[in-house]
Amino acid sequence: MMMETSYFPQAPAKSVGRIPGSKGMWVGITCEFVEFTLMFLVYFVARFNYPEAFKKGPEAIWTTAGAINTVLMVTSSFFIACSVAAMRAGSMHRSWLWLITAIVTALGYPLMKFYEVGWNLAHGIHGSAGIFFTVYYYLTFNHLVHACWGILGMCWVLVRMSTHAYSAEQHDGLEALASYWHATDIIWLMIFPLFYVLA
Amino acid sequence: MNRPNSKISPLVIAWLGLLVLTLVSLVLGNRFGHASWMPLPVAAIIWIKGTVVSSYFIESNGAHPLIAWIVRAFIAFVPAVLVLFALFGR
Repeated sequence: MMMETSYFPQAPAKSVGRIPGSKGMWVGITCEFVEFTLMFLVYFVARFNYPEAFKKGPEAIWTTAGAINTVLMVTSSFFIACSVAAMRAGSMHRSWLWLITAIVTALGYPLMKFYEVGWNLAHGIHGSAGIFFTVYYYLTFNHLVHACWGILGMCWVLVRMSTHAYSAEQHDGLEALASYWHATDIIWLMIFPLFYVLA
Repeated sequence: MNRPNSKISPLVIAWLGLLVLTLVSLVLGNRFGHASWMPLPVAAIIWIKGTVVSSYFIESNGAHPLIAWIVRAFIAFVPAVLVLFALFGR
């Protein structure tokens, strides 16, 4: 009796790509993106209905504060990316130093926000000063909350790194936190021109 | 699949690029803030900056396709609405 044999050529393994950090963090980042997409929709609906308020609004707020915050967000994002790169290269001490630098730079963001709000209030810019300022506070305060979570996360990763929890081969926690901070940076890079640049 | 980066030099270039783009947007806002075409360059700058952060810092090009698409879609949203504003806005 002849055995019938059949040959099924195996399909080449599909490259599915890696998950930077952890799945859980990417669920969180996706939720953050959805949340801010809705907030940007609020911005655009308000801008469409009150074009005059959105033309005059950016002239009243402190552009320098917005620019400094942008530099702080971008630079802390760069430092944390360097921390991940150093960890991958096996240099734990350098990775630790980059992370400390990222935390110090990131702390400048809430500090600058504190001065900005003080400046705003001294110039009569509060939440009910007009539709532009209501949306401005709504979006920037929400972003500040997300940034504060990120800074707390950085401190936790620093503690873990100090106890040698990460290695060149396994540093998912550091990479997950870095991904969150970069996502928060991207959101600020959208908020900045909408409120401080575009009149 | 792209290998994760362990070098600092591409990150430095991305960071400097982001700072230059921030400066460009400030100069544009200062000189032409009220121009009706301003949403177009602002949309382009937002998209380029977002793409630089996602490509160099998040390394989304080598990430799982779903992650890459989520990041790409989010980065495109605000610039796309700004372009609509430039074309049909009041």
